[in-house]
Parts: sequence; structure tokens; C-alpha cells
Amino acid sequence: MNRIFASRLLPLMATGLVLVALFAAAGAGYENFLSARVVLNLFKDRAFLGVVAVGMTFVILSGGIDLSVGAVMAFTTVFLAKVIGTMGWSAPVAMLAAVGIGVGFGMFQGWVIHFFRIPAFLVTLAGMFLARGMAFVVSPRSVEIRSAFYDDLGERGVPLGEGLLLTVGPLVYLVVVAAGMVVAHGTRFGRNVYALGGNEASAALMGLPVGATRVGVYALCGGCAALGGVISTLALSSGDPTRGTGLELDAIAAAVIGGTVLTGGRGWVFGTFLGVLILGTIKTILDFDGSLDPAWLRIASGGLLLGFILLQKLIARQSVS
Amino acid sequence: MKVLRSTLVWPLVALVVLLVFNAVASPGFFHVEWKDGRLFGTVVDVFNQGARVPMLLALGMTLVIATGGVDLSVGSIMAVSGAVAAMQVNAGAPMVQAVGAGLGLATLLGLVNGLLIARVGLQPIIATLVMMVAGRGLAMLLTGSQMVPFANRSLTWLANGSVGGLPVPVVLVLGLAVVTGWVLRRTAAGLFIEATGDNEKASRLAGIQTGGVRLAVYGFSGFCAGLSGVLEAANISAADPARIGDTRELDAIFAVVAGGTALTGGRFSLAGSVVGALLLQTLTLTLYNQNVAPAVAPVPKAVVILAVCLLHSPRLRARFGKRTQPVAA
Amino acid sequence: MKRQSFLRVAGLAAAVSFSACKPSGSGGGGGGGATGGKLVVGFSQIGADNPWRTAETESVKAEAAKRGIELKFSDAQGQQEAQISAIRSFIAQGVSAIILAPKVETGWDAILKEVKAAKIPVVLVDRGVTVSDPTLFATLIASDFVAEGRMAGEWLVKKSGGKAGIIQLEGTTGAAPANDRKKGFEAAIAGSPDMKVLASQTGDFKRSDGKNVMEALIKAHGAAITAVYAHNDDMAIGAIQALEAAGRQPGKDVTVVSIDGMGFAFEAIKEGKLNCTVECNPLLGPMAFDAVAKALKGEELPKQLVQEDRLFDETNAPAELPNRKY
Repeated sequence: MNRIFASRLLPLMATGLVLVALFAAAGAGYENFLSARVVLNLFKDRAFLGVVAVGMTFVILSGGIDLSVGAVMAFTTVFLAKVIGTMGWSAPVAMLAAVGIGVGFGMFQGWVIHFFRIPAFLVTLAGMFLARGMAFVVSPRSVEIRSAFYDDLGERGVPLGEGLLLTVGPLVYLVVVAAGMVVAHGTRFGRNVYALGGNEASAALMGLPVGATRVGVYALCGGCAALGGVISTLALSSGDPTRGTGLELDAIAAAVIGGTVLTGGRGWVFGTFLGVLILGTIKTILDFDGSLDPAWLRIASGGLLLGFILLQKLIARQSVS
Repeated sequence: MKVLRSTLVWPLVALVVLLVFNAVASPGFFHVEWKDGRLFGTVVDVFNQGARVPMLLALGMTLVIATGGVDLSVGSIMAVSGAVAAMQVNAGAPMVQAVGAGLGLATLLGLVNGLLIARVGLQPIIATLVMMVAGRGLAMLLTGSQMVPFANRSLTWLANGSVGGLPVPVVLVLGLAVVTGWVLRRTAAGLFIEATGDNEKASRLAGIQTGGVRLAVYGFSGFCAGLSGVLEAANISAADPARIGDTRELDAIFAVVAGGTALTGGRFSLAGSVVGALLLQTLTLTLYNQNVAPAVAPVPKAVVILAVCLLHSPRLRARFGKRTQPVAA
Repeated sequence: MKRQSFLRVAGLAAAVSFSACKPSGSGGGGGGGATGGKLVVGFSQIGADNPWRTAETESVKAEAAKRGIELKFSDAQGQQEAQISAIRSFIAQGVSAIILAPKVETGWDAILKEVKAAKIPVVLVDRGVTVSDPTLFATLIASDFVAEGRMAGEWLVKKSGGKAGIIQLEGTTGAAPANDRKKGFEAAIAGSPDMKVLASQTGDFKRSDGKNVMEALIKAHGAAITAVYAHNDDMAIGAIQALEAAGRQPGKDVTVVSIDGMGFAFEAIKEGKLNCTVECNPLLGPMAFDAVAKALKGEELPKQLVQEDRLFDETNAPAELPNRKY
């Protein structure tokens, strides 16, 4: 029993190990890399991606995919800028409404996917175009958000000493990861998601609510995408219809690096959390190096990603044998 | 075969609807004239622009998707092959050698994808994501991130010339599609590809070299992307390493899925993908013709994709009294 | 230098891959923070997506090398968030100054406050930012995109005698230069009722898309097209190719106007195919490092150092061609 448990968690442990090794190696190679500030930045800079990636993990676990997350995030940012800035809504109400829109949008996508039995790829691709188009309709250019609530929230957080502050964005991110883990591993909904992704036919035969689970998964992902947008406006105090292009790929990559299998049924929310940190660490290493031209930068980031995944595979395989 | 034909119906229906809309809304859409020894008109543009990128990429992508994979690296491979071909002709190489070098390197990069997936066991989306990032870097490295203009007439002819009044890319790409389809049907290759996508383990037990099949389809996808890159460079007499092919992988995947090939692998339809690519290109040109503001252009695009989706829906088809078939979500 | 640095990163990857205890990171020598009293400056660039931006990057790099300054270069690949995380890395490394080419105008308040708290001066290039506190950056070295569009529009009104059927090829949807060049141009032609924009579509700042869009619009609008206004030179070249393929004579029966003033645009003017290009000088490196040097000495700088953008047509382009460096 113990052995089986250990072998199932092996990829996750390998991922964690490689992350630590990567960080240590970079720390030895670059001055000032091993510092609380750099670690904090990893959470601050990618809080929005982390939240979106948690939603994406659920969708992938259920055997689906959601390409609309970046566009939904962009829509959320301009929506907030519009209703707070020009229409004078109070910020908390606007944020709730934005997340509500994200959930509703996700539910609709899930319903279309389930009811009409259409590939998730197509439905969410349409959703991506729709949300991106609507973002441009709301505002064709970036708009700033001037609000006392934002200013106030921007300065709040948990002080970590040395003048460092764990701000609201990364705090929300950590809460979402924890909540995601509880939902995935400790609730009936979570078990249904795994069952659905493992084998839809047998999930249906076992009497699991396949439709409700699928709609729920996309609703969750839409909500996470909108929440990512809220966090993004907290960090930037602005909305931008072009924000989040390519975000879906980053989110999928984070989930897959964290050991979630694209065909569904296998993976961990915590793995995705590690995946986001790994993507961030690779980027930070390249920024610290700072002497690569754009061409070598791309080759190096591809190479680092590949090297990392190979190493992860190697460790997992070694420990099994 | 009946099934193949029936999946083809739905993208065709969508295409016809779009064409009817154009017949009403944009006069001159179907106007084709003979000019300087070649056909000239919007419909010709649909085929020509459609052949150069979405159709070519979709050809390779169809086989990749049929094995249950996906290839995100096609845009970057386009950039590499275009750059190589342009630099070769600038160095004085004849056109055939330059194109050969571009296609060779592109195929090689595709094979690297295949190796990472079939031998190392990486998930296709990750292996080709690495290639997408690193391949773009390679193209920029080769060219110093600069455009590479060239003045080689025979290379330019590949995209701007005509054969029997038809643009060369249309002849090339439709020819490639027909040959590919013929080879896959005449040999067991098509069956092996579908078997690999349907059930890899069972196929391997049945003696199919699934690793070899995967290697081959990613190599072919690289080749198609390479040809697309060469044609795009030939079209504007310059290779654009930084931006060419950017996000076009989504176009290709859309064309394939709209054409009736399921993303989960298994049965595929090359003809469907060709129609899917034409549908996409017709949509693009319709938006130009109607002068839909670029900012809101994604909205009608979304509507058309949703319409194609609904046409693919087994549930809707059942309602219209057609034969249903299982389609994986 | 480049190669050596790549080896460093590759060495790092190798170190990780083989889980070696002693990473070979220090093998590259040179870099790694402010060693040997060398001045370290961070440069956050938006991306590397077109020749203009590449020219700008090269200009900043060359100037840094000339002055013996160590440059930390970061390419955000079009993402504002990546620019912000790069700036955070610059702060963590303790750079002396930061040059920032912001992707959009808004969203910089918080990060620039962090930079200010670390007492690092910021020099903006390309475009300005809207911030609550003007002391958040030292100065802005920029071209005025709206003015560029206006210059192109005014030139076209004069050239065409106030009557033209125009195709506008827009830049990447939502990008600041595309928005502003459209705004400036449309304001300039607003007073002439016979200057009509027949269609305005995006060519994504690419030569291939410029050609594709133009091909389609030639069929849709035919002889009504008498002028093309492209938001950059690349799209103008694409449009010229499409016009020629359709049997039109760009530069003669269709007036072609564009922005940027790249070398190849000057050649096109010399060949008589392009009528005019408005310069948008990417060679900001020297001005940027002058500003950095002054800011580090604590000198007050004017908030904006405007680049003088000139307009070139067949009267003055051939003489300027030999001087073009990009």
C-alpha cells in the first residue's frame, strides 16, 4: 500500500526535487539569486497565472481543455476598468460581478461541450475569440483604474521583514491552490472529475453526474480565469484588452510540467503549483543572466524546459527500478 | 468510407453558407477574370492564401492529431525553413537546393519532435511547445533576427507564379494532399496511423511499430510546415524569422477539427481538413471584404466556429434525423 | 560574449540535469551582478517582433558596449507581466538604472514605486506611461505616434489635392502605435470630405499580412483605391507587391504612405514605388544612456525628450539613403 502510494506520488516528488536543484544551481551561478526577494517575486509576478492554472488543471483532469482563459482574463480587466472607472461601481461589487461573469461564461462553455457533444477545443477556441472580441468592444486600448479601494488594497499584505510584503494577489493565489487541493482530493466533486477524466463511459455507468461535473469544471475554470484578471488589475491598476495572450499555453504547460496528463484522469493541483514556480524560475534565471539576445533567449528557455522535463522523467524512472 | 464522406458534409455546409452570404453581401466575391495569363479574383485568393498556410499546416496536423498528438511547433518551423531557403539563395544556391535545404531542416526538426514523443515519451504538447520556443530562437539566430530579403526569381515564382492559370501554391498543395491521401489509402500507413491513435497498446500488441508511426507523422508535419514557410517567404520575397507563422498552429488545428478529425485520435479525414482550411480562409477574406473593424473581428469568427461546432454535434444531427455516430468530446 | 553567456545558461541546465553538486555557473566569467565597479543597467524590451524593434535593441546594446556598461537585457515577448517581473529581477540584482520600453501606457504605478523605493532611476523609451506621480521616472525619450500619423495624413491631403480613396493597413490590434497612428491620420484627413477611408484592416505590422489584406481589398474596391496608408514600412512593402501583382502602379496611380523610415523604405522611395515615409527613429541608445548618466549624477532632466521625426519623400529620401543605419 505504502509502496503504491509512493510510486503514484513519484512524479510529484521528482518535480519538487528538480525545482530545488534548479534554484540551488541558479543561486550558485548568479549573485543575489538566493534571496527572499527573488522567492517572493516568483509568487508576486505569477499569481494571476497560478490561479488560472489551477482552474486549467481541473479541466485537464476531466479530460478537457480550455483555450479561453487568457481572453476571459483580458475581458475581466477591461470590464473592471470600465465599470469602476466610468460607471462608478464600487470595486468589491465589480470584482464579484466579474468573477460571476467568468463562472457564467465557463458554465455556458461546459454546457455546450456536454449537451451538444462538441470537442472542448473548438468550443473554447470560439470562447477565446468571443471573449477577446468583447474585451476590445469594452475598450480598444488599455485603461487605468483609479480607485481608493485599489490603492488601499495595493498597500495591504503580510509583512515578511526586510521591507518585503506578501500582497493580496499572491495571498489569493496561495488560498486558491489550497482550496483547489481540498476540492480535488477531498470532495465528491473532485473524485467525480478524476473519474470523468479517467473513463467517461464507466463514470456514467457508475451513476456519476457526468453532465453536472463537466459543467462544474468549466465554471470553475472560467471563475479562476476571471479571478486571475482581478488579481492582474490589483497588481497593475489597469485593464488591457491585449493582456493574457498566450496565457492558455502557459497554464497548460504549468499543469503538464506538474505531472497532469493531458488525456485526463491523472494529475495534481499541487503539481501545477510547482509547474508555475518552475516556469517562473526559468524566466528569472534568464532575466538574471540578462546577456542573451532574443534568439539565444528563446533557445535557452526551450532548452531549460526540455532539460527540466528530461531530468524529472529520469528521477521518476530511477526511483521505480 | 461512407463515414468519411458524411463527416465531410458538415464543414462543406458551413462553407456553402458562408459563400451564399458573400454572394449576397459582397458583390464581386465570385468575380473571376483572366489577367496576365492567370486567374484573378477573390475565390482564387481564398485558394491561394489558404493553400500557403492553413491547408498545408492542416495536412501534417491531420496525421499528427490522428495519432492522438498535436504539433504546436509548426509556426516556428515555418520561420526556420523560410530563413534557410532565403539565406541559401542569397548565398548563390539554385532554387531547388535552397528549398531542399529548408525542407530538409524542417523535416529534421519534425523528426526531433517525433523522437522526443515516441522514444523519450514526452507528452506531444510539451515536446512541441519546446520546439515552438526553441525553433523560433533558431530562426532568429540564423538571421540575426533580421528580415532576409532576396531577389531570386525562381524562388519568388513558387508563390507568385502560375501553372495553367492557377497559382503555383494551389497546384503544389492540392497535389500534395492528393498524393498523401492516395498513399495512405493504398498502403497500410493510414490504418497504422488510425490504429495508433485509437489504441496504442493494442496496436503495439498487433505488431504495429507505433513509435515509427509517430516519428513519421511528426516528420511529415515538419515537412508541411517547412513547405509553408518557404512559400510564405517566396510570397513576399523575404524571410521574416521573428513573426512568420505566429499562432498559425491554432488555425491548423481548427481546420483539422472542423474537418471532422477528433482531437482524441483515430479516424481522420484529409479532405475534411482541406475544406476546414478553405472555410477558415473564406471567413478571413469575408471579414476583410465587409470591413469588419479588426478589434471586433474575433466576434464573428467565434460565431462561425460555434456554428461549425453545432453542425458537428451528434445531438443536433440526431434531431435532423441523420445517422449519428459517437464523437469524443 | 553572447555565445559565452549561452554556455553559462547551458552549463546551468547541464548542472541541473546531472544533479551535480557544483554547478558550473561561475565558469563564464564576467557577469553576475555589479562586479568590478562596472555600471550595470537593466533594459526591459517589449519583444523582438519586427525590424524596427530589433534596431532599437541593437542600438541600446551597442551604446552600452561602447560605454563599458554591463547591460541586463530582458525580452518580454509581448507581455506586460513579463516586463514587470523582469524589472523585479533587476531590482533584486541591484542594477544602477533601468531603461524601460513600456508595452502599454497604463499599469506601471506599483512597479515604478518599487523601483523608486530601491532608488533606481528609470528612463522610458518609445512611449510614455500614465502614473500618479511624475517623479516615478527620470525622463521619457519618445517619438510621438499621433504626430507621425498626422504628418502622414497631412502629406497625403496635400499630395492628393484633398481627394483620395484610401486603404488603411493598421498595426497589431490594440498596440499603442497602431491606435495612435490611426488617430493622428484620421484627424489630419477629417477636414477634407473627399478623403475617404474605403477600408481599414489590420496587417499586424507584418509584410505578409499587409500583402494578403491588400490582395483581398484590391478585389473588393478595385479602381476606387487611389492611396494606401500603412502603419509601418513592412506592410507598405507587402501592399506594393499586391498592387503590382494586380497590375496597378504603386507610387504612381496609387499613392503609398507609411511610417518608420527603415532603410528598405528609402530604397522603395528611390525606385518610385513608395511615396513617403515618416521617420520613427529607433536608434535611442545614445540618448537613453546620456539620460541615464545624468540621472545617476542626480541632475534634473526634462520630463520628455522628444525625438525629432522627419518626413521623407522623393525630394529628400535619395539624399538621406546613404546615411540610413537601420
